[in-house]
Amino acid sequence: MNLEETDIKSGGCQCGAIRYCAEGFKRPSICHCRMCQKAVGGPFAALVVVENLSWTRGEPAYFQSSNLVRRGFCRDCGTPLTYEFEGSHIDITIASLDQPDLVAPEIQLGLENRLSWCDGLAALPTRTAEAEAAAQDVFSGIRNHQHPDRDTDAWPGDAR
Amino acid sequence: MTETYTGGCQCGAVRFRIEGTLGEASICHCRMCQKAFGNFFAPLVDARHEDLTWTRERPSYYASSDLVDRGFCSRCGTPLVFAYRDYPLIGLAIGAFDEPGRVPVTKQHWKRDKISGFDTLHALPGGPEDDPEFADVIAEIDASNHQHPDHDT
Repeated sequence: MNLEETDIKSGGCQCGAIRYCAEGFKRPSICHCRMCQKAVGGPFAALVVVENLSWTRGEPAYFQSSNLVRRGFCRDCGTPLTYEFEGSHIDITIASLDQPDLVAPEIQLGLENRLSWCDGLAALPTRTAEAEAAAQDVFSGIRNHQHPDRDTDAWPGDAR
Repeated sequence: MTETYTGGCQCGAVRFRIEGTLGEASICHCRMCQKAFGNFFAPLVDARHEDLTWTRERPSYYASSDLVDRGFCSRCGTPLVFAYRDYPLIGLAIGAFDEPGRVPVTKQHWKRDKISGFDTLHALPGGPEDDPEFADVIAEIDASNHQHPDHDT
């Protein structure tokens, strides 16, 4: 993890309705448990504990996934944002940070539910260079509605 | 060969069934998929619209661009859908399937946006959740689990 204890970092959901700043990053992890899988619609959740978290725009909606844990998400676009263990700690989803590269996971949890195909993900083939270029042509014409990876004074901006 | 697959969100408000053949299963590293899923990548598998039935509530949608709608459960947030408008295929979140192990991924896209650390995730050390000190907490969560079971109800 390339963060100091005192670093404050920003993040938020895809549509930008919810923005936060966080500090005191600890124990970056991926969790393979079936509850995390289902909550994020993926093979694992990538989470990091934060000591201080403040919502700088909007606030998440919550699903109480058990009597001890609630999970925060954006009601407008669905981005999973938090895993909050009652009376103990709050994790945020690493990829909702504006700079997710700073928080490399250091441990994996819930291995009993790890999907068998997880091991080979890094070795999967990708598009050919030609296909990638063709895709880039299509995507360069898309008007992107995602909030930028930095705080903004107002969103959506006037350009929308 | 026609197969049946079921799945849905964490709380169970949105459920789906596919009767047909699944298309390409992939992970996408692009920054938009990362943000939509709050995760390293989006794991998606293609299905034909005509093979897909929403068997309970339908997803809510966010238009992440002019071309793409992303579906999710407005009650619990689970990301469920990546869909190009006016396209015969719909992408479904593999982790939302009741049996995600039946949907192995075969390709990865947009590696230029790959988050550092991805390549070594599988080699990380395991955690302490099997330690006896966690047994009571795990038991309490198991006993009060509000997640929809991995089958239709």
